[in-house]
Amino acid sequence: MSRAPSQNPDLPRSEDELLVVRCQLGEPEAFDDLIGRWHGPLWQYIRRMSGRDEEAQDILQDVWLRVIRGIPRVRDGSRLRGWLFGIARRVLMDRLRRQYALPAASDVNADDLAAEPHSPDREPSFEALDVAIEALPLIERETLTLFYLRDLSLAEIAEALEIPVGTVKSRLFRARRMARAVMQKETES
Amino acid sequence: MSPTPPLAAAAVADLRRLARTELSSAARVTYVLLALAATAMTVVVTSLWLTEPALPLRTTIAFGALTGIGLAWLTFSLWVLRSKHVLLARHRVVAGQLAVSFSSVFVAGCLLLGFASPSRAVWAASAMGIALLVIGVVVWRRANTAHTKLVARRNALERELSGGSR
Repeated sequence: MSRAPSQNPDLPRSEDELLVVRCQLGEPEAFDDLIGRWHGPLWQYIRRMSGRDEEAQDILQDVWLRVIRGIPRVRDGSRLRGWLFGIARRVLMDRLRRQYALPAASDVNADDLAAEPHSPDREPSFEALDVAIEALPLIERETLTLFYLRDLSLAEIAEALEIPVGTVKSRLFRARRMARAVMQKETES
Repeated sequence: MSPTPPLAAAAVADLRRLARTELSSAARVTYVLLALAATAMTVVVTSLWLTEPALPLRTTIAFGALTGIGLAWLTFSLWVLRSKHVLLARHRVVAGQLAVSFSSVFVAGCLLLGFASPSRAVWAASAMGIALLVIGVVVWRRANTAHTKLVARRNALERELSGGSR
């Protein structure tokens, strides 16, 4: 499964840093640019994880408030992406923890799916992957969303999720297999 | 799943409005002035309290209460400036300037009053005012240094990016 081209703004990290520095200086236009550039990617991540438009909007507003209040404390602006998605994840998890006892898995059996054999000749389309991600359990859905749809590097995902890079790799491996299994199931049915 | 929020443009506009409100200078200046006023009040009351001999119990309690109120307002305004209306680089410079101006006026007033009608309370307030002025100058200088560094970094990044795009 190769990483599909996404609509995410694929900017060099120094542009991220410039944006952070301008925000830290207090340029109001910089906050407009920050919101304009990252609203869509954050929305997609939060919407996918929360599952409901209204709730996602509410969470997104909370995330932006924390971003605006927290940006003066960002030390390394080139790590903006990991920082932004880290905040989004914390807000999201706080909400989910309050609302539900986190389910261990969805109706998809994680162990069965992870055991599916790898078939390199049947690479999925990006759209099919998008649908399959929706069906995955929370942890796998989160990892694949950040990797495929948001173009975050492994190090940035590790920073956002507050886990080691090695764990990201293993989650990604497992999530890919599960997604592939879901897609195969869909094709067969 | 919708790839972007419903009415995305409206949602972005709302967020931009939210950001402008959050970043409003008026709110920050209000809380900086509140912090300075609370500090001045606390200094004056504490100076009187510590230098007046043999105060009746009621007066001592009143001074204690006023000092507590002053400190509470100071703590509240600092908490707001730290957690809600955070100070960005240019706000910090303005806050430093306000602190220096405010404490200079306070010290000048105390000294004038001290020379016109000397008393221990006025000299104590002057001494505390001078201490606040020193702190204000340090805060202002640090804010200026941080601001200058950020401006230099912004200029360097802009040069780097404009060079890379050619």
